[in-house]
Amino acid sequence: MSFKSIYTVFILIVFFLVPKKALCQEVSADIIDQILELLARDPDENLDYSELVERLNFYTKKPLDLNRATPEQLRELFFLSPLQINEILNHRAQNGSFLDALELQSLPSFDPEIISLLLNFVKVALYSPLQDLTAKKLLQQANHDLIFRMGQIIQKQAGFSSADSSKAPNYLGSPLKLLTRYRFNYANTLSASINMEKDAGEQFLDGNGNKGFDFYSGSISYRGQGLLKKLVLGDYGLQFGQGLTMWSGSGFGKGVGITTIAKQDFGLKPYSSVNEANFLRGVSASFGFKNISFTPFVSKKNFDASLGNSGLEIGSLNSSGLHRTKTEIENRNRLTSTIYGANIQYNTRNLNLGFSTYQTNFNMPFGEGKSLYEQYEFRGNSLTNLGFHYDYSRKNTYFFGEMAHSLNSGYGFINGLMTSLAPRVSLVLMHRKYTKNYHSFYNQSVSEASNAVNENGFYAAMALKFDAKWDLFIYSDFFKFPWLKFRVDAPSSGYEILAQLNYKMSKQFKISTRFKQQLREENASDNKSGFALESVDKQNFRLELIYAINNRFTFRNRAEVVRYKKGLSPFEIGFLSYQDIIYKPMSSKFSGNLRFGIFDTQSFNTRIYAYENDVLYSYSVPAYQGKGIRFYVNGRYTLIRGLDFWIRYAHANYYGQESVGSGNDLIKGNNRSDIRFQMRFQF
Amino acid sequence: MKFISLIFSLLYTAASAQINPGPRSLAMGSAGAALQDVWSLQYNQSGIAHLSRPVFALAYQRHFSDQELNTQKAVFAIPFSNHVFGIGFQRYGIKEYIEQTTSLAYSKNFSGALSLSIAIKHQQLSIAKYGSESLISVDAGMQYRVNEKFWIASHISNPAKTSFNDLASSNLPVTLSLGASFIFSDKVLLISDVQKLLNAGMDTKIGMEYKLINWFVIRGGLSVNPFKQYGGFGLIYQRFALDVAISSHLNLGYSPNLAFSYEF
Repeated sequence: MSFKSIYTVFILIVFFLVPKKALCQEVSADIIDQILELLARDPDENLDYSELVERLNFYTKKPLDLNRATPEQLRELFFLSPLQINEILNHRAQNGSFLDALELQSLPSFDPEIISLLLNFVKVALYSPLQDLTAKKLLQQANHDLIFRMGQIIQKQAGFSSADSSKAPNYLGSPLKLLTRYRFNYANTLSASINMEKDAGEQFLDGNGNKGFDFYSGSISYRGQGLLKKLVLGDYGLQFGQGLTMWSGSGFGKGVGITTIAKQDFGLKPYSSVNEANFLRGVSASFGFKNISFTPFVSKKNFDASLGNSGLEIGSLNSSGLHRTKTEIENRNRLTSTIYGANIQYNTRNLNLGFSTYQTNFNMPFGEGKSLYEQYEFRGNSLTNLGFHYDYSRKNTYFFGEMAHSLNSGYGFINGLMTSLAPRVSLVLMHRKYTKNYHSFYNQSVSEASNAVNENGFYAAMALKFDAKWDLFIYSDFFKFPWLKFRVDAPSSGYEILAQLNYKMSKQFKISTRFKQQLREENASDNKSGFALESVDKQNFRLELIYAINNRFTFRNRAEVVRYKKGLSPFEIGFLSYQDIIYKPMSSKFSGNLRFGIFDTQSFNTRIYAYENDVLYSYSVPAYQGKGIRFYVNGRYTLIRGLDFWIRYAHANYYGQESVGSGNDLIKGNNRSDIRFQMRFQF
Repeated sequence: MKFISLIFSLLYTAASAQINPGPRSLAMGSAGAALQDVWSLQYNQSGIAHLSRPVFALAYQRHFSDQELNTQKAVFAIPFSNHVFGIGFQRYGIKEYIEQTTSLAYSKNFSGALSLSIAIKHQQLSIAKYGSESLISVDAGMQYRVNEKFWIASHISNPAKTSFNDLASSNLPVTLSLGASFIFSDKVLLISDVQKLLNAGMDTKIGMEYKLINWFVIRGGLSVNPFKQYGGFGLIYQRFALDVAISSHLNLGYSPNLAFSYEF
């Protein structure tokens, strides 16, 4: 082939591969869906996606320069594995700057799909005097981003009215949900954020003493190039190592891909979410000198907590952030934590070592749990955590791990490796051991249970790319719980297997099938004395089709079946099927998506969670349970540059039910619908 | 422990004794219908059709870390151009319960892409205080190379449904296995089997072999029903090969397997 024809081919490839940027520079819903699918094996209502979406959105607007991106910035993209990040860094070290983003194709662990995903967030900037000019220009630029959101469930829920007119309803506030958030960013150096939120049922201006919003959070942060790398005043998050010692915010665990299992930390960051529990409040800074970075932190933050039996001790922490009822309001901010500590790290391109330690003091002691399974839980009012974490990459292998100790109590260990055995074969092996008395209040290490405590496990995963069209991902995770758990009155064990096969027929048409099985043990349903455990078998089967009809419309279908069986009782079956229509024109003021779903599940155990598109930075993961249909429509309209509106309406109709929900959330009738408006103003 | 393993062995004999594959297959989730080595004699005999020299191999396996319950195996295969003959011995059990299997296999290699095999097995079962009994069963198998990288295989064991008469609880199962192997690169081999026992469950197995360096390979795998994890490695020194495999059962623990082979 002559040079000219190579050149022509190259131009053609560039022409076809580089995605055309839409007019509205916002990460589109389908890309987020794609990334969420990679990160979480099941959509989880407890995970906070808004933070992730916000970060991805940031890099859509200000793409990372592949030649200058730090490992930390690449980690912020979430969907790149440590192996892939290393390949980018090594490529830069060995071959110099990227001349074109398509050089990524020469890196063994990058396939066209991941490249096209990545191209949404990166660019290749060649150094030129012009660049200085734009940098200067950027410096004069300050961005403001203001969002108002309101939403409400249309039907009246039981908590908002009381049968006895002389008594106040259980929910003291109005059913309206409100959010205001403001972001300020000055040349990526100085930024500030404020979040103000009121959940449905919480008091607003109508409360005692004109309280205003129920939850406020905010921060001012600085990012620098000198000795002081980062500084955050106000609310912040910390993420170190594998999350065993200190990790605030969401930690994605076992995902559908090898990316999430090895956590990729990025230390200090301003807190931007509206999750009301999982962050720190105070001041923290990160100093860097040569290969050493040092991050001290101080925090004083209140927690919602309920009292134990004695009334003098804390019984349990409440992390829902809801303050709707009298009890919830009483428990609000009952406990004050004071945290101080530091992390020190030694970072080179291939080797990172870090050590964290911090002390948590509470103004009230934690009491002894009532049940036997709680015997080893945290007690007292002071806790000191120590942790050492490492990661090391050599050739095609990435080693990672963390060892943690809570003083005077337990230990936690997590160690693993990720390797690409051949260009199209990746393997992850990971072992974990958390003792039954390991305590940490900021612990997001990979675990089957909700916290990394009382668990031993071994995880193995393999990602295979047979060719450009077929790929397969499999993991198996075996776990043991050496001590009792809630509703498990004996040591227990179980396993989980997931296999997903993807077939990409063309750029327009993709099919994926998934099988997941989880087997664990639980107290027998009819045995109150509680020594015999029964095995609980849950299997999910999923088929999904995604097809782009043209460059405006994408259709997506999913069918999912769940089988659940406990002990010797017969299988319970749950079924969900839906049709999504995604409308995303190249350039139009309007974009949107809608879903029509039908579900039929026999029981609570066979409910099916599915991620739903929502207004920007919001997310919903409802459980489809019972028998019925669900519909939503979600649209966005750009009035002028810098002013956008969203509206979302969701409706569920249940077949043959006289009420929906339970307790204070009970709705009479068989319909449940909610509506949400959002407005964004950028200047 | 002995009691548990005895019960377990009685329950699972039907499933395990018939196919107690070699260490290479065992380390890869005990999938191996589409593997080619001398230990194919213990699984899909068609795999020996590709041998070019006589090979002799020995193996010893303990079950669930129990001191007594073990399997001893010896296999020998000899090729005469495209015709390959093999013989295998296996002894499984504890003092009170012994299964001894002798098998004779013939496998023919057709044009390098297809191989077919047939095997006759003589199995003797002795249970203390109950006596002993023997029977003869037949296995048949095939392997087909779809292309340079991809093999498919199938194997049926005991299609005639022969069974013990007196020791009726120890029926010989009828087993159908379908397997595939995929050579990803000169370093990575992936295999998978789907195995169905007549009147019993179905198992899916998956395994992988990775050639770390010329003389050292590592292996791993898992099977779904029952859930087991497997691992192992192999050392090759000239004509000698040493293979180690360990399987781990959710509740019963580890079963180590050690094997040695020599190619003449």
